[in-house]
Amino acid sequence: MKPEELLELLKHALGGLAKEVTVRKGYVEVLVDADSVVPVANKLKELGFDHVKSVTATDYPKESKIRVTYHVSSYLREDLAKPILGLSVDLPRDNPVMESLTGVWRSSEFQEREVYEFFGVTFRGHPDLRPLLLIPELAERRVLRKDFVVKEESIYEGVPHRYQ
Amino acid sequence: MDVKAVDKVYVGNINVAARRARELLLGKLKLGDVIDWATTFSLWPVHLLTSCCGAEFAATWSPRFDAEQYGALPWVAPRQTNFIIIEGTVTRKMACALRITYEQMPHPKFVIAMGACALDGGLFYNSYNIVRPWEVVPVDVYIPGCPPPPEAVARAIIDLRRKIREKKLASRWLIEGWRHDRDPVKPADDVCKWWRP
Ligand code: SF4
Repeated sequence: MKPEELLELLKHALGGLAKEVTVRKGYVEVLVDADSVVPVANKLKELGFDHVKSVTATDYPKESKIRVTYHVSSYLREDLAKPILGLSVDLPRDNPVMESLTGVWRSSEFQEREVYEFFGVTFRGHPDLRPLLLIPELAERRVLRKDFVVKEESIYEGVPHRYQ
Repeated sequence: MDVKAVDKVYVGNINVAARRARELLLGKLKLGDVIDWATTFSLWPVHLLTSCCGAEFAATWSPRFDAEQYGALPWVAPRQTNFIIIEGTVTRKMACALRITYEQMPHPKFVIAMGACALDGGLFYNSYNIVRPWEVVPVDVYIPGCPPPPEAVARAIIDLRRKIREKKLASRWLIEGWRHDRDPVKPADDVCKWWRP
């Protein structure tokens, strides 16, 4: 299936639920509101998208938003698996809360935990929302947001090895 | 009880008897030399794969380089091993596992830090999530490189063997009960949340 065909299919299937469906360089992106993410995910699952490949987030400090992106794909239908489909949600940066999609796609569980610890996005209804890779003290500091600055030196000399 | 009288009793007080026997065997009879010799040829590293240097660690024990010829055999259980090769970057969560593994090993025990990451951070020198291994456990031999070739790992094992033989590390550790040539390392960061009130 060509990305353009998938775009038409999605526009037809999602109707007014999606805020915006775009295609660029073979990447199809469905942008939805935080309220309608679960219905849209259910619709996508009915279409045949049966697993989440990755969950990631992007920080936009100037626009004061965090965009959480689910890349979904299909094991059973090969034609759906060819284009890359991203399901994106824009969240406010100071209080990013959204519904968890673990009820729809179980494979997003660990990846939502990673987004939680690195960006501080809280997923409502997640079965086990704990930091996965970081210690809890570090997870509180939201280390992959753009305002967390890692110290850099041009000349390597006696690096202070604790960043408090 | 009079201490001098106790000193002469060989059978009655088991602790005193054990100490006297140990001093005799290890000190006068040069059993210490035998212990050092035996330790150098049975350095068994525990498998603690922390990062990508582990690939070279595996290659070191492959048929081509065959580090087993130095008497070193990677083993799974920390309680039956006597040295650790830290294979690369140590993250904060892994530092706790490293310390627990080190504590579980019986002494005399030794540590080799492998790779630029284990020396001073390497690629990740300013990362928020790594610790220097020498802050967590006492390191005996460092191997530079990213990653170090298998020959360098074999060389480090030979260096460690020479160090044990020349400084009598293993036997003096057993006789005196502590490591005489260095202070014990207590992690500056509370890696495992052990000494928090
Ligand atoms: S020294 Fe290089 S190969 Fe070894 S753990 Fe660090 S980055 Fe990986």
